[in-house]
Amino acid sequence: MSTETENEHEPLASDTQQVVVPEQYRKSAVPPAMKTIIELKGVTKTFVRGKEPLTVLDGLTLDVHEGAFEALMGPSGSGKSTLLNLIAGLDRPTSGSAKVAGNDLSTMSDGDLARFRSRHIGFIFQAYNLMPVLTALENVELPLLLTKLGSADRKKRAQTALRVVGLEDRMGHYPRQLSGGQEQRVAIARAIVNDPTIIVADEPTGDLDRKAADDILTLLTKLNQEFKKTILMVTHDPAAADRATATRHLNKGKLE
Amino acid sequence: MIPVRYNYRNLVVRKTTTIAAAFGLALVVFVFAAAQMLGNGIKKTLGRSAAPENAIVMRRGSSSEMESGIEESQVNLILAQAAQIGASKKPPGVGEVLVVVLLEKVGTVGGVSNVTVRGVPEDVFAFRSSAKITEGRAAAPGTDEVVVGAGIRGRFKGLELGQSFEIKKNRPVKVVGVFADGGSSFESEVWCDLHTARTAFGREGYVSSVRVRLDAAGKFDAFKALIEQDRQLGLNVQREADYYAKQSEMTADFLTIMGTMIAVLFSIGAMIGATITMNAQVANRQREIGTLRALGFSRSSILTSFLLESTALAFLGGGVGAIASLGLQFVKITMLNAGTWSEIVFSFEPTPAILMRSVFLAGFMGVVGGFLPAIRAARVSPIEAMRA
Repeated sequence: MSTETENEHEPLASDTQQVVVPEQYRKSAVPPAMKTIIELKGVTKTFVRGKEPLTVLDGLTLDVHEGAFEALMGPSGSGKSTLLNLIAGLDRPTSGSAKVAGNDLSTMSDGDLARFRSRHIGFIFQAYNLMPVLTALENVELPLLLTKLGSADRKKRAQTALRVVGLEDRMGHYPRQLSGGQEQRVAIARAIVNDPTIIVADEPTGDLDRKAADDILTLLTKLNQEFKKTILMVTHDPAAADRATATRHLNKGKLE
Repeated sequence: MIPVRYNYRNLVVRKTTTIAAAFGLALVVFVFAAAQMLGNGIKKTLGRSAAPENAIVMRRGSSSEMESGIEESQVNLILAQAAQIGASKKPPGVGEVLVVVLLEKVGTVGGVSNVTVRGVPEDVFAFRSSAKITEGRAAAPGTDEVVVGAGIRGRFKGLELGQSFEIKKNRPVKVVGVFADGGSSFESEVWCDLHTARTAFGREGYVSSVRVRLDAAGKFDAFKALIEQDRQLGLNVQREADYYAKQSEMTADFLTIMGTMIAVLFSIGAMIGATITMNAQVANRQREIGTLRALGFSRSSILTSFLLESTALAFLGGGVGAIASLGLQFVKITMLNAGTWSEIVFSFEPTPAILMRSVFLAGFMGVVGGFLPAIRAARVSPIEAMRA
């Protein structure tokens, strides 16, 4: 079983750099047969800061198809992160409907949202957000603790995920012993270990130098193309957006 | 469930704060355990002085040997009645005089305290077979020679082998031997000749109490009934064990209650310490908590994780405190026993129950101290936490 898994993933890990994004996926629409996995209709999100209500998302409608790799761009304060949080089930819309992976998030309880996140969402954060006291392997294993998998299976899957991101030789390292790029790759392994429906990435390359950023983007592309993961990425970096199959621009709470 | 090693490593990584908080908790548990061990120590020490088949006869209405007085003529009557019930060992009983003398404590300047002097008959070592001369020799009858208990020896001026002290002004007695009695309260006494004690304190014709050794503990009720039915004698009969339990009760309860109160006061401080420590942990780990919530861990699992961490911290401190308190059993202290108004030497006596209570107290402090921070952690909004 173990050798089978290794054989399956080893070439993927080693040829991370050689992934070429096929031309037809660049900035193009998704293949027609794919189903809609994110469906937002008239979503409004209003925050009350002090006494002033602040509308961050204003009647937004968005469809994302399964297998898409979409970039979300926009100036600061345009609502990108809020939108991402809504889709990831970290927050609920003030009005409108948000359907993600068949779940109506606007009606779900906090507990249901937590279960939804653990089952369907893989998170990649700008600041990696690894647990400093846990090793790379233990960090990757974290989401699996919410599943029924036994200890041995969890470990095996976490090892496989680390192999996919090319960090099989860093499993026992603590985050402080890794470079920024390596930390982000551990975070990506953590995001995929649960085999989530959607990966949401909030400025995944924001803290990295160009070279490390390119590696991460290549890895995301690979996840999208070879593992057919739907990826939604908030970014300021046009080079990052360039690697996505589609880019959407958000301005003052509306999609342009 | 958030893995326990996450909590464990957080405690290890933040060594200084962990040790500081654990130290506070250890101190409380130490004080708490020590107080109970002290209370237990005095009970045990006095309890060891009692033999199950022994009865003590005193004047009715006296709460201790010190207050009691029985006419010499009654002693033989008491022993005769004991023989009638069944007291075949030789001697079946002893009449003793109990007095206290004020002596200067060694190691203090002018510090004085009461020391019990027991005027004993010649055959006292035959009666109390557990008492043995360990150094020197027994006092010669009818002389001004005394033997001192191993516990109190050397703790007062003149109470060392070969030294002498005044049991009354211008009435010196000489220490010729040291005796031991398995750590009982007799070891805190000076035993002198019955006659010497009587004449020195004007107790001619009287004894303080009569101890009777029955053939079996079961014969006590019959003996008590026989003695007490004669109202004219005006005597009261108690089991030795009951008598000593009563003698130790006041001091033991005082020590236990006082110590527990101090420990409870300390524990408030320690709980606040634990709360501050855990609050700092929650504040430092906002982003980690937010991430865990984002990954799908529930509020309750965050709450449990932080409670577990504070409880582990408390058990760590509590364990250290409890283990440290065990070291106290090698310490002997002298204290004025409220039952006899004289000095008694005893040690801290641990029991499994005391240790369990102490560790339980630690756990309690951990849960209470960690509760508010854990609630705070569970309330962390993942969005807010990761924006910070």
